[in-house]
Amino acid sequence: MEEIRTGVYICHCGLNIAGTVNVDEVAKYVGTLPDVVISRNYRYMCSDPGQDLIKKDIKQLNLNRIVVASCSPRMHELTFRKTVETGGLNPYLYEHANIREHCSWVHSDRKLATNKAKDLLRAAVMRVRHHEPLVVREVPLNPNVLIIGGGIAGMQAALDIANGHQQVYLVEREPSIGGRMAQIDRTFPTLDCSECILTPKMSDTGHHPFIELLAYSEVEEVSGSIGNFKVKVRKKARYVDEIKCVGCGDCEEACPRSAPSEYEMGMATRGMAYIPFAQAIPNIATIDKREERPCKAACKEACPIHMNVLGYACLIKEGKFAEAYEVIRRTNPLPAVCGRVCYAPCQEACNRGQFDEHIAIRELKRFAADHEIKLGKAKAVPVEKTKEEPVAIVGSGPAGLACAYDLVKQGYPVTVFEAGPEAGGLLRWGIPEYRLPKEMLNNDISYIQDMGAELKTNTPVKDLAEVFDQGYKAVFLATGAGMSQRMGIPGENSQGVFHSLDFLKQVNYGVEIKVGSKLAVIGGGNAAVDAARVARRLGVEDITIVYRRSREEMPAMPSEVEEMEHEGVKIQFLAAPVRVLSDKQCVTGIECIRMEMGEPDASGRRRPVPVKGSEFTIEVDNVIMAIGQSVDKDMLPDGLTYTDWGTLSVDPITLETNVDGVFAGGDVVSGPADVIAAIAAGKRAACSIDAYLKGEQFVPEEDGKVEKLSEEEVASVKERYASQERVGISKLEPQKRVGGFEEVEQTYSPEEAREEAGRCLASLIEGCFECGECKRICEARAVDFAQTDQTIELEVGTIIVATGYDQFDPSVIPQYGYGRLENVITGLEFERLSCAAGPTEGKILLKDGRQPESVALVHCVGSRDKNYHEYCSRVCCMYALKYAHLAKELADADVYQFYIDMRCFGEGYEEFYQRCSEEGVNFIRGKVAKVTDEAITDEEKGKLIVVSEDTLLGKMVRVPVDMVVLCSALEARSDADNVARLLSINRRADGFFLERHVKLDPVATPTEGIFICGCCEAPRDIPDTVAQAEATAGKALSLISKGTVTLEAAISTVDESICHGCGRCEEICIFSAPKVADKDGKLVSSINEALCKGCGSCAVVCPTGAVSIRHFTQDEILAQVSALTEAQ
Amino acid sequence: MAEFEPQIIAFCCNWCTYAAADLAGTSRVQYPANVRIVRVMCSGMVNPIYVLKAFEGGADGVLIAGCHLSDCHYIDGPTKCDAAVDKMRRMLHVLGIEDGRLRREMVAASEGVFFAKVIREMVEELKKLGPSPFKAKMEAPA
Repeated sequence: MEEIRTGVYICHCGLNIAGTVNVDEVAKYVGTLPDVVISRNYRYMCSDPGQDLIKKDIKQLNLNRIVVASCSPRMHELTFRKTVETGGLNPYLYEHANIREHCSWVHSDRKLATNKAKDLLRAAVMRVRHHEPLVVREVPLNPNVLIIGGGIAGMQAALDIANGHQQVYLVEREPSIGGRMAQIDRTFPTLDCSECILTPKMSDTGHHPFIELLAYSEVEEVSGSIGNFKVKVRKKARYVDEIKCVGCGDCEEACPRSAPSEYEMGMATRGMAYIPFAQAIPNIATIDKREERPCKAACKEACPIHMNVLGYACLIKEGKFAEAYEVIRRTNPLPAVCGRVCYAPCQEACNRGQFDEHIAIRELKRFAADHEIKLGKAKAVPVEKTKEEPVAIVGSGPAGLACAYDLVKQGYPVTVFEAGPEAGGLLRWGIPEYRLPKEMLNNDISYIQDMGAELKTNTPVKDLAEVFDQGYKAVFLATGAGMSQRMGIPGENSQGVFHSLDFLKQVNYGVEIKVGSKLAVIGGGNAAVDAARVARRLGVEDITIVYRRSREEMPAMPSEVEEMEHEGVKIQFLAAPVRVLSDKQCVTGIECIRMEMGEPDASGRRRPVPVKGSEFTIEVDNVIMAIGQSVDKDMLPDGLTYTDWGTLSVDPITLETNVDGVFAGGDVVSGPADVIAAIAAGKRAACSIDAYLKGEQFVPEEDGKVEKLSEEEVASVKERYASQERVGISKLEPQKRVGGFEEVEQTYSPEEAREEAGRCLASLIEGCFECGECKRICEARAVDFAQTDQTIELEVGTIIVATGYDQFDPSVIPQYGYGRLENVITGLEFERLSCAAGPTEGKILLKDGRQPESVALVHCVGSRDKNYHEYCSRVCCMYALKYAHLAKELADADVYQFYIDMRCFGEGYEEFYQRCSEEGVNFIRGKVAKVTDEAITDEEKGKLIVVSEDTLLGKMVRVPVDMVVLCSALEARSDADNVARLLSINRRADGFFLERHVKLDPVATPTEGIFICGCCEAPRDIPDTVAQAEATAGKALSLISKGTVTLEAAISTVDESICHGCGRCEEICIFSAPKVADKDGKLVSSINEALCKGCGSCAVVCPTGAVSIRHFTQDEILAQVSALTEAQ
Repeated sequence: MAEFEPQIIAFCCNWCTYAAADLAGTSRVQYPANVRIVRVMCSGMVNPIYVLKAFEGGADGVLIAGCHLSDCHYIDGPTKCDAAVDKMRRMLHVLGIEDGRLRREMVAASEGVFFAKVIREMVEELKKLGPSPFKAKMEAPA
């Protein structure tokens, strides 16, 4: 056994120790202890001569153990370990006794203090004998640096390290870097524009080759230790492709929803798709999607033109009717028309219908259109013609009008040729007035003309060559299917027999038609129903519809059939006419035959088959044939090819006919269909023609699937939301209706519309509801709703925390009125007001838009206050002076500054204070008691009264002002404790992160390798923040320069001869350092030295004592404890 | 007859309580000289055997103090310490040592004043309890 030779050194620390502890007596006593070869006392052991003493003694006296009794080991243990090492001994053969912080400084009785010092030294001497030399290992340090927080502190640190050509990962939680400084308007004392000095740094940070910027990301997990941290970062989904997005901001303009802007401190709104501020880096949009909507937006998919139903529904819900109309108009060329006559596949598909009742989407569209038209606001702005190639459109029905609308929007010169006297096609002369008033139709048509489409009526087009000769580069044929089909039965040409389209046309043009008192309509489609209801309005009382199939198979809209029956029209199902009976060429009746349903025909519907011998006669004066429509080939130019059904043949994708540059769509291609299908065809043709004129291949938009909610999804909707009936619309009474052509269905009132729109399931969630408006409008095609959060794993050697501060919320101080009195604002809110790019464009304004005549500034709100934060927030005096100056400069206001002290400590600060004083600011020394709007005198009426003590006058004062700015404290971020836990760093009592030493190590934390800077450590101004950031960069670069990290030597170790592999150490260790494994046939535990931190829990639970902590072994501690109690 | 001055052995964790005691020192907060501090890296490092040794040696009271639950440098040391203290109390009960002689505290690095208060309180408590029963046993003839 080695002979222990201990040297003991007792430090006076000047009078700090020697003033209370009798160091001579102690030294003498220590000299009597076992194995102590030399016992000295000296004034300053930590000084060079002091350390030299030790080094000399080691050599000369052959010492192998050293004890120093002085200040706290947290101060100088490392210092003396180094001394010992330089002196030639292993640094762990050293023990430190704390006789200053734990003795001389806390006990005043000399005798007691001296006795205690003796006890502590005895313990140290007895313990040091058990110390073993420990090998100090170095491991390589990963040179990468993680910086958490992208404000000025984080960016500055990042730039310094990156300029040293080391890799930095900068993680920022918000969509853009910039932090608080980006929100500040001007910085004291120079009144520099904050953004102007910040943006170059932001730009450098965003583009630096050695900085990988992970914006809109958060650190989720940190493991490992200095030199070797493993970090998991969650990159939140923006739903925007970072590479494709160019930051144009179109998505934000298009977005129908909005939220308070965090950047503007809630004083302005931003879209759910947004870029937080103009200079954002990265300059890309973010979509604030918070939860999945409870429906599938089946409405949008079911609509042939993919109308953004949820987009305009939510705007109607919020009362933003003009914006709703605008959203509708982005897609739909004929809102007032569709709002009345569309058969609304969207309603049938509406997912709410699976829950209670589908949304009355058509009614909402109609409401928005009618509302704007009534206010005279549905007026188009002419679109600038940016394209050279004129396009000719033949036919001004819905297909032609839709094509014209979309082409004009893209800047093409467009001419619509209409053979008839007025535009509109079937919309005008097919659909009756009571369904679609001409006034509304005219509005929609003139809108397109106001946009810049030229309309030439009474101009049929028969010669395509002529059209091209006139200079048109493409033609869209949309002449419809306006020829009534003939039945081919005897007597069809008798007088008194009408064909439905001719009949409707004549009535719509006001031509007088002679009809009798009894009438039959043959057919079951919308034309038949329209004809019957029109005939009713012409005074015919006895009307029968004769339809060869049953009610379920009637193609007419069920609501129309219902209304028709309310108006007294009868229906004969399963009957077909055989011949028209007439007398002297006037119709007297029709002979019909009963039908029964047979096998399905070419259309898939069951064929009706006549029942032999079932003929019967209906007495009528008139017959209207409404059995179908077909394309009138005579109306079309020559040279075109047709399908077997007599419709124009076109390429199914491009809609081009057999003639180059001639396209076609609508009923002329599909046969009789519906208005929305025609509009869809017209829109598609516009895209196809645009591609054709550009020489590009036309790639049509892919259609999505109409999805239904699953049973679970419906159940979850039922749980979450209350059922609500659809808001009904009022209709004219049947008796009133048939007296004329007044519109039968009324529209919603604004309140009804808002209520009904409020039922839209998608609009019930917060955040983006994927209405797709942004996706539609994005030219870069950057919107991607399929994006998910990504987990990125990083390996770094050091971590710098620069997470900044939160502003204290003064609403917890009710007597200041924040949140209750609208013109009481906080500092950051004032910054946004004075900023020229802010919500008021740099004007200091009250909430009602007036300029304040007087402004009060209240210091120390939440700071220097026992009830909230005791600390001083350091910057408020200076920014209050700044606001005083700005209030005078921008609003020429009287300024009253309520201060307790003026803290103007920095460079140029005092001078700034002098300058502001000279500008005539009224300084009142006193703590503000309250801010109230209860006036006592006339002068105070309508003002905010600041009630305060004026300590210099020695009395209370009441100062009436227009605006009160509260200098709100800077406090630790609300989630600072999460960050602390994540990184294993500590917080101080005031909530900010704990530095290693307030004076001598302000940017390090007790946790090796993790540094803090800026306001996350304590409130500070910009110069100090930048200095601290650069300091942390220095710390990191110093570690990187050395390249290695010294591992903790005082870690766990296992005596394999005693270990029997029970695994309790592995179970209890939170760092996963011990692992039990088979070693040469025996289960034993072994410690991963890179992971072990030396906490000691494993040793406590080890049943055999196999596990021990180096330097803190049982022997060492027991020796120490025994020695301490020896005096007893 | 001199007034009985209890001796307290305090196991203090390096990161929090030891630092708090340091802070009491730098702030010159005065407290009774009855306590002797043993520095451990974590309050979870305190083995029941150390506490027994302290009482065996004649200590009148033992303090085990470490970080608050969410502040531990080694994450969950305080929890482990609480579990160990449970065992210790049972052992001490068997040995006839009063419960009030073992005190478990959580003292953060910034709580210098609180540390001093704890010591003061312990000294008062122990003065009331009197010398440790072990002392009598030690002095008793073999």
